[in-house]
Amino acid sequence: MAAADRESPAPRGRFEEIYDAHVVGIYRYIYARVGNRPDAEDLTAQVFMRAVEQLDTTRDEGQIVSWLYRVGQNAIADYWRAFYRLPLVGTEQVAPGWEPPEPVERAGGDPERASDERATARVERLLRTLPENYRRVLELRFLQRLSVAETAERMGISRGNAKVLQYRALRKAALVPEVTTDG
Amino acid sequence: MADDPRDRSAADRFDRYLEALLSDGRPSPEDVTDGDEAEMARLAAELSVATQPGEQVGPDPAFVEQLRLRMRQADAGIDAVRVPLPLRPEATAPTPVGVLGRVRITRRQLLRSSLTAGAGLAAGLLGASVLTRSDLRRPIWDDGNGLVSGTGYWTPVARLADVPPGSAVRFTTAAFDGYVVNDAGQVRALSSVCTHMGCTLHFRPDWHDLRCPCHGASFDLKGQLANGTDRWKITGGYLGDARAYPISLPPLVRPKIKVENDQVFVWTAQV
Repeated sequence: MAAADRESPAPRGRFEEIYDAHVVGIYRYIYARVGNRPDAEDLTAQVFMRAVEQLDTTRDEGQIVSWLYRVGQNAIADYWRAFYRLPLVGTEQVAPGWEPPEPVERAGGDPERASDERATARVERLLRTLPENYRRVLELRFLQRLSVAETAERMGISRGNAKVLQYRALRKAALVPEVTTDG
Repeated sequence: MADDPRDRSAADRFDRYLEALLSDGRPSPEDVTDGDEAEMARLAAELSVATQPGEQVGPDPAFVEQLRLRMRQADAGIDAVRVPLPLRPEATAPTPVGVLGRVRITRRQLLRSSLTAGAGLAAGLLGASVLTRSDLRRPIWDDGNGLVSGTGYWTPVARLADVPPGSAVRFTTAAFDGYVVNDAGQVRALSSVCTHMGCTLHFRPDWHDLRCPCHGASFDLKGQLANGTDRWKITGGYLGDARAYPISLPPLVRPKIKVENDQVFVWTAQV
């Protein structure tokens, strides 16, 4: 933050200051949305390699942070397009119900922490809305990180049925999150 | 539950996505087949991260340092590192059907393969046919005088009556595998080893050539590359034209022969 007020430091030094200040935040922001390390690293690299070429480092800190998170958001949207297999999908269609990145001013310069807290709250809310066996299978698989075999054993069902159950649970949670009852 | 087998296969497939995700590996979009499943995948990704202890979601310090280095290099104007890495290996372009593959080969590889193909060279067993010597462009390895002079012997390989015009007879000597060919009355011996990668050439009577089954080179009955015209360089792209070949190749080795009393002999030099 303070760097913005200084007298024009060497461009490369300034760029590395920006990198050091934001690489962890951008990575966490991306990781929270793609869920795995290899893809999060690729996308993080894309954001900063693009910044080397295009980011105007003389802008003030707020603008720079906004720029970085906007580029990160676009990289995430492009990433999920590969899973949707649709040639052209707008960001808003790709991510219905996804909050845009927290405006920096309101998040106190730490947008990723605020979004982590939101995600955790959302998970708890989500699990509460699911029927018992759906909630249970997701808890075992995600919260307790059990394998399919272990999950099946705990629930007293076959492995095949555990896979079907987790599939249906995710389907219900992802597609109709507002509906709370199911036979 | 799971009475529908389609449910099973979808659940099995999607579990592969989950397994990759939960082991913090790179999931494949191949395991996600439609928009609904993409929503599920995205929710699963979010769930997976939200249920991890916070300290695990920071970047690997080694990654941070590596990326810093890449950026410094890019900042210093090294264009090579500016090329963004693909997210996933790009699909390879489909190979056109019915088109001979283009052979890419460097000059160095070419030289090496030529030497391999002419393994007999080492034993000093090469020669030029005395019958058509003026046709040769005298590449360095085909200097008949130097290579076949000295002591040696003639090996009978075919009866002339067995090689009418337009035909070829396979032979083997201590030095060569090859063909005795009758090119409209001109009799020659040609090595059957392709000068590209050393595959064995096959005689095609209707084409009047020796054809390589490996990369499609075709040699005429003088031993010259017959589909090796430079036309492909002008027309751009090797489009399966039998007369074109993407690289030039040395002519086939042509051992010295003689015909005596209806008998064809091939010269073998002694080491």
